[in-house]
Amino acid sequence: MVLTVNGERKDFVQEVLSVSVLIAQLKVQDPEMVSVQFNGEFLDRANYGSTTVKNGDEIDFLYFMGGGAR
Amino acid sequence: MPGFATLAVNGPRDDRDPHHSLRYPLYDSVAFEFGSAKEIENAFLGRATSHSYSRTSNPTVTDFEKRIALLSGAQGVVAVSSGMAAIANVFLALAGQGDNIVTTKYLFGNTYSLFTRTLARWGLEVRFADLSNQAEVSSLIDGNTRAVFAESIANPQMVVFDLEELARTAHVKGVPLVVDSTVSTPYLFRGKDHGADIEVVSSTKYISGGATVVGGVILDNGIFNWKQNPHLAEDAAKFGPLAFYIRLRREVYRNVGACMAPHSAWLQTLGLETLQLRIDRSCGNTLIVAKYLENHPKVKAAYYPGLENSPWHSVAARLFPRGCGGLLAFRLESREASFRFIDALKLVHRATNLSDNKTLAIHPASTIYCDYTPEDREVFAVPDTLIRLSVGIEDAPDIVADLEQALEA
Repeated sequence: MVLTVNGERKDFVQEVLSVSVLIAQLKVQDPEMVSVQFNGEFLDRANYGSTTVKNGDEIDFLYFMGGGAR
Repeated sequence: MPGFATLAVNGPRDDRDPHHSLRYPLYDSVAFEFGSAKEIENAFLGRATSHSYSRTSNPTVTDFEKRIALLSGAQGVVAVSSGMAAIANVFLALAGQGDNIVTTKYLFGNTYSLFTRTLARWGLEVRFADLSNQAEVSSLIDGNTRAVFAESIANPQMVVFDLEELARTAHVKGVPLVVDSTVSTPYLFRGKDHGADIEVVSSTKYISGGATVVGGVILDNGIFNWKQNPHLAEDAAKFGPLAFYIRLRREVYRNVGACMAPHSAWLQTLGLETLQLRIDRSCGNTLIVAKYLENHPKVKAAYYPGLENSPWHSVAARLFPRGCGGLLAFRLESREASFRFIDALKLVHRATNLSDNKTLAIHPASTIYCDYTPEDREVFAVPDTLIRLSVGIEDAPDIVADLEQALEA
């Protein structure tokens, strides 16, 4: 499948992945501090394990510890 | 897990300087440059942890925040410009018009003023309780209560409330406990282990060490379910335990602009490395001084939770097993005797800071509480006869000798 991760297209051999597996697979930095935006909506942290991503989905891993200045 | 001093000296070690500088550098820069429009967009969207503007984040400040998080076990730390800025940021994030907080009148003077004057004008109701009476605290908490607030050791009253009991009372009612841990710091009081949901610390004090710069930190211990706060419930669904921290980062901290200067963060990181050494020394000295004062015939009463005669001793021993800090208070017979004593000091400095390396004395009623009436000061337990002493790291016999000669003056 092809996902758009933080604005960039990425190919995956799997056809379906849970968000929590994706976080581990991509070695997302500071996983305990990251917030996930899935197809434009923030995802509840409780649903990372049960939410699956499939071909064409957009997912953003966001940090609010920096950035966002004027 | 390495010990406190090892962690304090070495830091997290996962965010090395690009040039491998052994001491994390001072990035005394307002703005950070990006290589492309896409990169700066990603930074603004939060897709990258890049720094862009020092009001919202700065590498040197982030390094200091990470060190505080490591030492305290906090989930998230925000460094701000002062201890008062820390308290203001917390309550601007937690509460709004028509809300209330439950606290005590045993507060630092500026904290009392912030609550009852500044925030009250914006519609915050402040409810005062005897925080050692859990039934009273519980009865004052209602659907609009956004926090219970206490100092870990009340300054300058030196009262210690049972913060574990207070946390249980607050949590049963769905309200977080906010603790001002300035006089204890994460070394003496690890709030996370005692039910403190949010902590504020004036890092100007012990953490700075040499009284070099003003600063403050907010610790989000990551233990409160923010779905219970109507202002944060929606964010809690999205961000879980990070809801409060993200509200601070994305909105309140950024909008208020009371950020810690990189230079301050650099100096406070330097201070942090010797925190344990200085606090251990200060606690030891303070106990010696407190014992001396409680036995002096001219001293009407000495207040220090480390004294076995203190009504707060057993609670303090449980909450602060490493020591009760460097602050104590005592009473002389009159205001005149108090002024005479302060004027006669030769080694001890007449100054308003606390937890400095130097021993400092002040008469709280005529300084920190000078805006209040004598009747108010009686309610605050800050009478005209009270002297506050912040015991430093000098040689204890020299401090005692100076007090001795000043008491005889």
